[in-house]
Amino acid sequence: MGMRQGNAMSAPPEGEGWHASLELGLRLREGRTVLVHNRHQGPLMVQRPFYPEGEQGCHLYILHPPGGVVAGDMLRVSASLAEGARALLTTPAAGKVYRSHGPQAAVEQTLAVATGAVLEWLPLETIVYDQARAHLRTRVNLAPGAAFLGWEIICLGLPAAGQAFRAGQVRQDLEVWRAGQPLLLERGRYQGGSPVLAAPWGLGGFWVSGTMLATGGGPALLAEVRARVASAGLPGRFAATLVSGLIVCRYLGWEAEAARGCFLRAWEVLRPQVAGQTARPPRVWGQ
Amino acid sequence: MGPRGREPQGGEPPGDLGASLQLLRLCSPALPIGAYSYSQGLEWAVEAGWVSDEEGAGQWLMGLLRFSWTYLEVPLMARLHQAWRDGSQPAVRRWNAFLLASRESAEMQAAELNMGQALARLLADLGSAEAQAWSGRAQTSLAAMFALAALSGGIGQGQACAGYLWTLAEGLVSAALKLVPLGQTAGQRLLNRACQAIPQALSVGLSLEDGEIGYMAPGLAMASALHETQRTRLFRS
Repeated sequence: MGMRQGNAMSAPPEGEGWHASLELGLRLREGRTVLVHNRHQGPLMVQRPFYPEGEQGCHLYILHPPGGVVAGDMLRVSASLAEGARALLTTPAAGKVYRSHGPQAAVEQTLAVATGAVLEWLPLETIVYDQARAHLRTRVNLAPGAAFLGWEIICLGLPAAGQAFRAGQVRQDLEVWRAGQPLLLERGRYQGGSPVLAAPWGLGGFWVSGTMLATGGGPALLAEVRARVASAGLPGRFAATLVSGLIVCRYLGWEAEAARGCFLRAWEVLRPQVAGQTARPPRVWGQ
Repeated sequence: MGPRGREPQGGEPPGDLGASLQLLRLCSPALPIGAYSYSQGLEWAVEAGWVSDEEGAGQWLMGLLRFSWTYLEVPLMARLHQAWRDGSQPAVRRWNAFLLASRESAEMQAAELNMGQALARLLADLGSAEAQAWSGRAQTSLAAMFALAALSGGIGQGQACAGYLWTLAEGLVSAALKLVPLGQTAGQRLLNRACQAIPQALSVGLSLEDGEIGYMAPGLAMASALHETQRTRLFRS
């Protein structure tokens, strides 16, 4: 990924945040999911759909060439799947929110899934640097009978590189609605210096946290997810539960890779049920 | 009999005293909704060694009070109280759904629903037509019924929020006494800390805009999810 202004850590003058948006529309045509709408403004885009798993479902890689957001930036992604469409959306690189001395950066992602459509939302992690100020929002709007499987992972600071999250602040909203009714509303608020970072009821001293969600859950599938992730023996904490028909997995740890590792194990169990396909990690992650 | 003018007045107690007494009744552990059977994640936290003494229990309590309850319970109780007062069923349904979707685990959602259902039935048996309509529904939260009971007892919005926080704190402390375990005096010290922090929780929680409502406590959410498979359990959450 390119670095803006050659120096990723330098913020533009106040009030000069970049606004970028991407709108995607996918539709099923004669058994093939087609990208019928693809409009972007600013440096946020997808190139072309890939079909590594057959015609019915496509993979889309969301690219953000600046490589991160700074004070005052606003990124908007919206994706809409019409009836019967199937898509897997991911990113080829971690998202980054750099430090700000003033305005907040905002990332707003809205995902709409129609009846019979299946959306997988598997972005790499978002790294929120120390002294960053950000509001990250992801809202999933499901029609009756729509299927969704997705996750959000954030890293607060880069403690391994000596950059603990001492003075940043981030709000992270993750919402799933079905037919206009909320199924799950998560509102994370993390602020440097707050007890939430160290307390056992909060992040417990961990700096990587993630939530994974899947529709179509039941007790048997939940038990299988728990067993599969436990057997992988990855570092960090993992827990799964069932809320309003959604399987909700949560992770706390020290490495985004371990978070993704846990969620990929869960994905292996969930994908055949939710998306009717076996799980093969997208090639763009380079695994 | 004391001098004239200091005699107790006959009939109904003064409005504020009547409301205070109703608040005591609503917040009493004797309210038959089964509140004693939920630990709000504490049973797992003790099992995992996250909480092992009075200090740890105090952190769990004060953390939930200053963050989770301040940002979620207080503003929602205020909105539910307002919605009942306005007679707006759409608003009651909206905030009731918001609260249920904010419950992080199966057990915490079940606790909300079981106690909500129990209180709805109780209020219906006591003659509340509004509660009658909500009893038997699959999505009746404790908070929505508590707000209705408070309004019916003449309890104002701020007092209802304070009372609700008190019941949450008392439930958690009574679980801590059994689980950690703690002595009665330690329990009273914790409740005293909660009493001192409740005004600030109200001040912050009542000033929030709609878009600021909600608080995800990851450790609490995971403790509660892990509690679902805990082998030996005294509590239902």
